[in-house]
Amino acid sequence: MAGQLEFGLSRKRERVALTVTQLVRVVRETLETQIDEYWVSGEVSNARRAPSNHLYFTLKDARSAINVVMFNTAARRLQFRLEDGMRVVMRGRVSLYETRGALQFYAEEVEPRGLGALQLAFEQLRERLKQEGLFDAALKRPLPLLPRTVGIVTALGSAALRDMMRLLFDRFPNLQVIIAPSAVQGAGAAAGIVRALEDLNHDGRAEVIIVGRGGGSLEDLWPFNEEIVARAIRRSRIPVVSAVGHEIDYTIADFAADLRAPTPSAAAQLTVPDKADLRRRIDQLHGAMATALRAALAAQRRQVAHLGSRMRDPHAPIRDSRQRLDEAAAALARACAAQSASRRALLRQLATRLTSPLAIGAATGLRRNAVRTLQERLWRALRSRRDAVRARLNSDMQRLDAVSPLRVLDRGYAVVTRRLDAAVVTDVRQVEVDDEIGVRLANGRLLARILTKSQDR
Amino acid sequence: MADNDVERFEDQLAELEAIVGRIDSGELSLEEAIGAFERGVGLVRALNQKLDEFDRRVEVLTRGAGGELRRSPSGAMTDAFDDGADDDRDE
Repeated sequence: MAGQLEFGLSRKRERVALTVTQLVRVVRETLETQIDEYWVSGEVSNARRAPSNHLYFTLKDARSAINVVMFNTAARRLQFRLEDGMRVVMRGRVSLYETRGALQFYAEEVEPRGLGALQLAFEQLRERLKQEGLFDAALKRPLPLLPRTVGIVTALGSAALRDMMRLLFDRFPNLQVIIAPSAVQGAGAAAGIVRALEDLNHDGRAEVIIVGRGGGSLEDLWPFNEEIVARAIRRSRIPVVSAVGHEIDYTIADFAADLRAPTPSAAAQLTVPDKADLRRRIDQLHGAMATALRAALAAQRRQVAHLGSRMRDPHAPIRDSRQRLDEAAAALARACAAQSASRRALLRQLATRLTSPLAIGAATGLRRNAVRTLQERLWRALRSRRDAVRARLNSDMQRLDAVSPLRVLDRGYAVVTRRLDAAVVTDVRQVEVDDEIGVRLANGRLLARILTKSQDR
Repeated sequence: MADNDVERFEDQLAELEAIVGRIDSGELSLEEAIGAFERGVGLVRALNQKLDEFDRRVEVLTRGAGGELRRSPSGAMTDAFDDGADDDRDE
């Protein structure tokens, strides 16, 4: 070392200085030719992505550290997100960053240690979107009970599509189905799914969308784990049912969807009701409603009968009077018969006693007068009886009239009904300001609007 | 979309269920019960109508050369779902 220095100093006069650039280049070339590509393991720190999409971080272990750069082309292939503290293995070469003369590792590939890269990417994305609130239960929209039009995003000609179509039409034969086809695996599949979702939204007729595919490897299902698909599902104005793979497969799409179906077939069943079931339910309600109304009518009839037993039947006085009239008539007839019989007997008696034609004539005249008097008394009795009955009937009618609702209206009261459903309003809480109400008066109806309302007590 | 419907099926079904409950409760006057029943019968009719409203149809949405949406008519496409022995199964 000392010799070299002396040698250098002794050549002071003729010395040729390298520029910094030249020095750095020499070092760089030495490094690049002498040091091979390596796999290096360590812990990530200070990871950051530049606007250029290059990825910078420091890889360290207990004793040392080295700056690492991963250019955007390599960084794009990274399926997971590099985070501080993560233990990774990276492949690449060491070289010199000439601008700063700094030693740097140029990484081509980074893999997480422990979990596989896809698995890690899945966990990370799920955690990130969850933090963001994309999976919030509050965002989940209810599916329509009876979607008349169903949108499907999947691959044309796939077994999954065939299974879904068969089940959908089994359950609801007159269903409308709109298929927005998309590849569901491989490069570009995620973008295709996003476009298909957008197309269905743009078309706007579907009331619910099923997006999915049959089972496959984690790589096959991967498009459904991509962020753009999750966001497109959330962005859809139409509720989305995810149906990816088998029961055990969970994808990011499942978490983002309004409803996760374990399989495409299950999605068909969850999305569209069985038409026969619905028909039965409607019939059942129709029947129950009729039964309930019959019960209500019967109850009402019992109540009327009960009230009737307390209130005299308006026909009863007439029936009573008629009976009494009949009795009176019978009594009268009996009386007449008895009287004429007795008169005939008397006549015979007199006839046997009075042999004088004159005497007989006088006696007959006397009796004629007596019969006439009796008849008149009878008619008077009948008339007065009839008048009494009539008077009682009138008073009964008036009593009936007084309890009739129409009579109540006569006294200035009104019946108020809601225009909406014709329900009788008996409580101010039944109506709101601006509601329209019907008002029934004794001689007509009004349509009115509520300006204000207030409640007593 | 469902939003444009006058009344949704599930809303009408729920109203029908409520009507049955109300008539059954005995809280209605006879006049109200009859009115509710009439409304219920109207709902039954509307619900049954909704079940039969549409005909079965299958369409495929595709993009034209200019990026515009195209709807292929049903017939040809539905056939593709009936056999399909030649498709690439992705299960």
